[in-house]
Amino acid sequence: MKSRTAAIILIILLAPVLVFAEQATVITKENAVREYCRFFAPVVAPVRYKDLLDIVSPQGDWFKVRYKAAEGCIHKTAIEKRTASFSGTTLPGKGTGAVSESEAALAGKGFNPQVEVSYRKKYPAMRYSLVDDIERDKVSEKEVALFIAGGGLNQP
Amino acid sequence: MTKRITVFVLLMFFAFHPASHAIDLGGIAKHLDTLKSVVGATAKATRPISDEEEYYLGRAVAARILGNYPLSNDKDLMKYVNLIGKAVSLSSDKPFTYGGYHFAVLETDEINAFACPGGIIFVTEGMVDTATNEEELAAVLAHEIAHINKRDGIAAIKSSRWTEALAVIGTEAVRQYSSSDVARLVTIFEGSIDDVFKTLVVNGYSRSQEFAADESALQYLARSGYNPESLDAFLKRLAGRGRPSGGGITATHPETADRIDNITGKLPSVSIDPQSIQARTARFMEVREQTR
Repeated sequence: MKSRTAAIILIILLAPVLVFAEQATVITKENAVREYCRFFAPVVAPVRYKDLLDIVSPQGDWFKVRYKAAEGCIHKTAIEKRTASFSGTTLPGKGTGAVSESEAALAGKGFNPQVEVSYRKKYPAMRYSLVDDIERDKVSEKEVALFIAGGGLNQP
Repeated sequence: MTKRITVFVLLMFFAFHPASHAIDLGGIAKHLDTLKSVVGATAKATRPISDEEEYYLGRAVAARILGNYPLSNDKDLMKYVNLIGKAVSLSSDKPFTYGGYHFAVLETDEINAFACPGGIIFVTEGMVDTATNEEELAAVLAHEIAHINKRDGIAAIKSSRWTEALAVIGTEAVRQYSSSDVARLVTIFEGSIDDVFKTLVVNGYSRSQEFAADESALQYLARSGYNPESLDAFLKRLAGRGRPSGGGITATHPETADRIDNITGKLPSVSIDPQSIQARTARFMEVREQTR
């Protein structure tokens, strides 16, 4: 009885660690940890797909996170939260119509670069070069910020 | 019993505590992850799809659309459409996708727009010409962004393809596939592209998907500072033109009049600064003049 009580106390003591030991995986090709929780806030650390971040706290649609030596914010839709739970990962940014279960678990599986390469070999006439051009022709963050300000739109 | 509980608690502690990586116990968590993913993938009858996969599917769908329509070479128009689209996407439910949002213009008089899974959105020159101001063009893009947010393109893929894909990836925990697995996945990939392409370009989305995308578009417009009434105005103009041929936004199941009815009474109330609208309309006219 005594030892069982001790074990229960141990679990209770460790419970906060299990609840708060949260991490998140970056699920976009590239993103950034920002100084404060706004889209155009200065970047404190660039992050890439599958980078692992420590969650400090939620901040509305953002999470305060730690990445290596940097601390800052990242938007909830750029990460997949991994909680210390056996019930599986949670998806903070996927409330509506999502079928995804866990980006981390599925990373690189299914339709991945290897499949695209084979598909392109099979259909060389497909206009992938134009798709690459579209993806390359990015508008910069600064240009978007100026466009928003110039048109009197709301600062996101 | 106590021993067992203690071991379990310690395992939980080391496997999930952030510091466990630092003391090289990350391997345990990794193995648990792998185990969890294999079990999870196998357990699901209808397979989940990751944002990364959605991205690769979307690229293929975009490549196929570009086989049907030439890409505009008007760099100024492309940039302008990208700036509007980016501004709206930041106020959407999903500002970030795996590969990001990219907007492009197709060189055709057809009045159309297509949202490829993952974030590539096409609008036609005909669509741009039909819009009378930046607000309306933003409304079109907001509607397409909503389809991406809701993964409507992905929903077009037959569930049998997911079951089939599951058979290949469900037992495979590694990133590299054997050549026979790749061949099977390519076949499923092709079929999935067909499903999405047909929905986007030929059949259109379902009535409920279109209504939901319009409703979300109203919210995105309001949040970003555009006038949500512009969607109503644009749809009314489309309705006045009758039903053109082609797919996408104009070949959807609901008649445009039904879409107008659906959003009536749902327009979010916003305060719009007339001077800002003037500034936006001025830059719209400037870009359009250049393109003519």
